[in-house]
Amino acid sequence: MNEIQYIGEHLWVGQVGHFAVVLAFVASIMSAIAYSINAKNENYQNNWRSIGRLGYILHGLSILTIVSILFYAMYNKYYEYAYVYQHVSDDLPLKYTLSAFWEGQEGSFLLWMFWHIVLGWFIIYRGTKWESPVMAIFAMAEIYLSSMILGVHLEIGDWVTKFGSNPLLLLRETMQAPVLFNNADYVSLISGNGLNPLLQNYWMTIHPPVTFLGFASTIVPFAFAIAGLWTRQYKKWLTAALPWALFSAGILGTGILMGSVWAYEALSFGGYWAWDPVENAVLVPWIMLVAGLHTHLVARATGFSIKATIFFYVTAFPLIVYSTFLTRSGILGDTSAHAFTEMGLEKQLIAFFMYFFIIGLGALVYHAKNIPSKDKEESIYSREFWMFIGSLVLLFSAVLIGVPTSLPVYNSIVSYFDESFVGKVIQDVVPFYNKFQIWIAVFVAILSGVSIMLRFNEKNFEKRSSFLMKHLGISVLLSIIFTGILTLWFKLYSWKFYLLAFTGFFVMFSNLDYIITVIKGNMKLAASAIAHFGFGMMLIGLLGSGLNKETISTNPFMFKDMFENEDDLRNYVRVIKGKPLWAQGYWITYESDTLIGRNRYYDVEFKKVDENNNEIERFKLRPSSVYSNDFKTQNVFNPDTKHYLTKDIFSCIVALAPTKQDADAAKLFEDSLVWNRHDLLIGDTLRTEFDNWYVINELSYAPSHREYKPEDNDFGIEVNVTAGNYKFGNKFELKTALGLQGALLYKYPDGEEDLGARVRLSDTFIEEIFSSEDQLDYQEIEVPSLETFEFEDMEISLTGFNKEPVNRNYEPEEGDIAVSAQMIVKKDGKSIPAEPIYIIRGSSPMGVKSYVPEFGVHIRFTNIDPVSQKFKFQIAKDKRKMNFSIPLEITENVSRSDYLILQAQVFPAINLLWFGCMFMMFGLFMAWILRMKENNRREREINS
Amino acid sequence: MKKFQIVALIAIVAAIAILFSASKDVSEYATFEMASDGQRVKITGEMAKNKAIEYRPDIDPNIFKFFLKDSEGKEKQVILAKAKPIDIERAESIVLTGSLKDDVFYADEILTKCPSKYKDEELSLKKV
Repeated sequence: MNEIQYIGEHLWVGQVGHFAVVLAFVASIMSAIAYSINAKNENYQNNWRSIGRLGYILHGLSILTIVSILFYAMYNKYYEYAYVYQHVSDDLPLKYTLSAFWEGQEGSFLLWMFWHIVLGWFIIYRGTKWESPVMAIFAMAEIYLSSMILGVHLEIGDWVTKFGSNPLLLLRETMQAPVLFNNADYVSLISGNGLNPLLQNYWMTIHPPVTFLGFASTIVPFAFAIAGLWTRQYKKWLTAALPWALFSAGILGTGILMGSVWAYEALSFGGYWAWDPVENAVLVPWIMLVAGLHTHLVARATGFSIKATIFFYVTAFPLIVYSTFLTRSGILGDTSAHAFTEMGLEKQLIAFFMYFFIIGLGALVYHAKNIPSKDKEESIYSREFWMFIGSLVLLFSAVLIGVPTSLPVYNSIVSYFDESFVGKVIQDVVPFYNKFQIWIAVFVAILSGVSIMLRFNEKNFEKRSSFLMKHLGISVLLSIIFTGILTLWFKLYSWKFYLLAFTGFFVMFSNLDYIITVIKGNMKLAASAIAHFGFGMMLIGLLGSGLNKETISTNPFMFKDMFENEDDLRNYVRVIKGKPLWAQGYWITYESDTLIGRNRYYDVEFKKVDENNNEIERFKLRPSSVYSNDFKTQNVFNPDTKHYLTKDIFSCIVALAPTKQDADAAKLFEDSLVWNRHDLLIGDTLRTEFDNWYVINELSYAPSHREYKPEDNDFGIEVNVTAGNYKFGNKFELKTALGLQGALLYKYPDGEEDLGARVRLSDTFIEEIFSSEDQLDYQEIEVPSLETFEFEDMEISLTGFNKEPVNRNYEPEEGDIAVSAQMIVKKDGKSIPAEPIYIIRGSSPMGVKSYVPEFGVHIRFTNIDPVSQKFKFQIAKDKRKMNFSIPLEITENVSRSDYLILQAQVFPAINLLWFGCMFMMFGLFMAWILRMKENNRREREINS
Repeated sequence: MKKFQIVALIAIVAAIAILFSASKDVSEYATFEMASDGQRVKITGEMAKNKAIEYRPDIDPNIFKFFLKDSEGKEKQVILAKAKPIDIERAESIVLTGSLKDDVFYADEILTKCPSKYKDEELSLKKV
């Protein structure tokens, strides 16, 4: 077969991309080697450093090239590239191009690398003595990351392996579609798959970059810890690394928090945290970082726990890689609601995190003996002792989250050796994790509440003890009082939750006390107290929103005695359009819906009433559904939430009528309807077995049905039907039409959901009243002048002529001679105008006939005799009966489709949760900025 | 012994105790056979083809009925106390949490594993 010369492909994009991918990979190796050689060099400003820098800059430029060229291809919709084809489509709004860019795994690796490059270039720009060892680690990580997009197939004998997945492969290289790809012009035929509608949301634009910056930033504390060991400057690295560690914990925490807000605000999860493996996997390294931060501060202040700090930092980054392994390998398929599926990079990801675990922990063990530690014990009354215990509790927390989350890994390892192994699973995930983490929270809260009031290197506790007792005593007392007050707001159910509430308040009061009485409002020292205050606030918010979540949309009359915990399960109600539904003190009304772009917004009114049905308040929520890219299904739903200071009212659509949700289901449903024909005269009343009645009021030849467009039709007919139900005593006006367009007949049915009925006209109706041209017997009639003549039972008057006739069946052409005859047809006292046209085009005569459907009369204007000055017409009548009946088709007992299945919940105190988390992040960022400034100042002092 | 070592020892003992106690919350993926005693279990399988699936939101939006074929090939009716999950027909495998009663599996949790979005999908062509 000959090679096909494809047209319309932009091959240069792929060529540049492939070159850049290889260059990026090679340059990162070069950089890693050069920096490693220079890592331990005292005189670090040498050629090795220059080579390392050159390699990393080259690597960075290559990655930026790939990023820009891929983005360019996506922006211009070069569908011949598989990645472009998979993630964008013609109808994808431009603002989602970025989201589409990192929707896929290759794009998200590029985003991760992008941040490593930004951070790495910043470190190069600073050019401190730490640059070489730190950048050696960066470059090593970049070797692994850029190998993920390498896309190289290695074949050694029978052994074939794939290295990475290149984002710039052509579609025809990745897909088997011989018919399509035999067409040289296939590019013009394809259109992209587009972005998953679930992700067409601004959160998808902002959450991934923040989260990946969080991922990328964890390498900095790792690299500094390794640099400290490598250069045997076991303590000095602590100062340089501190701002980075704070930044990393802050930004990764913000990424997790944003994911949580996204899940709650914009996705239909009905919550903000579900202990899903994907969430847990990234929470674990964050907890490790936070634990590391605490031992880091201890180490800086006292010299204790350097080893612990190194341990936490060298595990956090590999754990991030491990988390991406979990989410990207498909291994979580059975336990997570939102993990990626596998793409064949599992082995590379395993090699990636194993390498960094081994070099991190290996270096720590190798150097352990040499790392200075204090012989003297820390005093039990010192801050460092309790901070260290706190870090241990955090480690504990990380283990208790990380180990169960890794159960699928254990399962796949065991079943690799034992094929009959079934696999272990946690029965009920949420209570399982909560059960342990509640104690972690209690301990952490008590420890941070107490230790903030203690001092580093305490030598004289006796003097301080009375101050401490007094202040902690006040905090305890206030916490007890506030826990009591809290129970007026929401329920705490069990003593464990009372204890948690108490400790939450305790950490808040104790840290407030610290800000006011110990540091006397000096905000430069308040960062940690603010973060811990936020932690306490978050705990109270968790108790409110988690423990006291209430469902408005309960369904008490539905299924009984099927489930043991059925009160918790009846969470959805059906709300019919225009019919208020009472649920848990609210009248819920689905009022209307509007289509905006790809989203359909449903206006749902909530009216809160008291026992006497008096209105307390009312508000509107607009939950929405999102259509798929081809508009055939709407399976994705976005919630809407009413925010109060003390609570949220959350609403989300769970389902629509199956016929609304899926066009195929709708078609099946339509086909399954059974229509019964009833021949009715105008004014007759029809009664059916469902106690419905129908009367045809009027027949009209100018349909006003909402979907009928006169310009598309040659002929239209419509009946107005009044229908109702005897039992319910209701009455509705319906309109159904037929339209004839050439040989095609269109039906315009109508229906009423409340009657469960639909009506339409039988298609034989047209044949019964309208005769086609070949069935008509035209009579020739000559009219000498403007006069009235008889035709069968009608009187026809010729009233005038028009030399510029307008008719939608006539398109004037240059040189036409056209004249229309203006006529009036009269029958039974009714007059209707008619205007046939006589045309001479070139030398041949033509005509446009006029049809008066009311009387069933066809009039052609066939000739103007120039000699006798007579006008010739051909007139015919439809072969319709005198008093014809109207064949109305009715289908009944049709299930309704004008409803929403709605979930509505109250989340009390959720703002405390969000504000608490924000205080924590704010505290971290504040500490980052203060420590960074401090380091800069010290550097300047050394230099000057 | 240093205080730190005492604390570390306590922590290790506590960790072992907790993980040991946690192991009773962990069970094997069950089959219908194993669930016959009415215990709450997690069961994996796939949707039985050619069997009725029913979601009638107009009758009860909280109930979805279908048949599951477990890993041993046994098929039983499932009553799930949720709305019909999106794309459940396309799911490669399904994990349900619930218990078996009178030959019907009553589930209140479901997790579906869906194939990758692009696998086996027809190429989307431009609309002419």
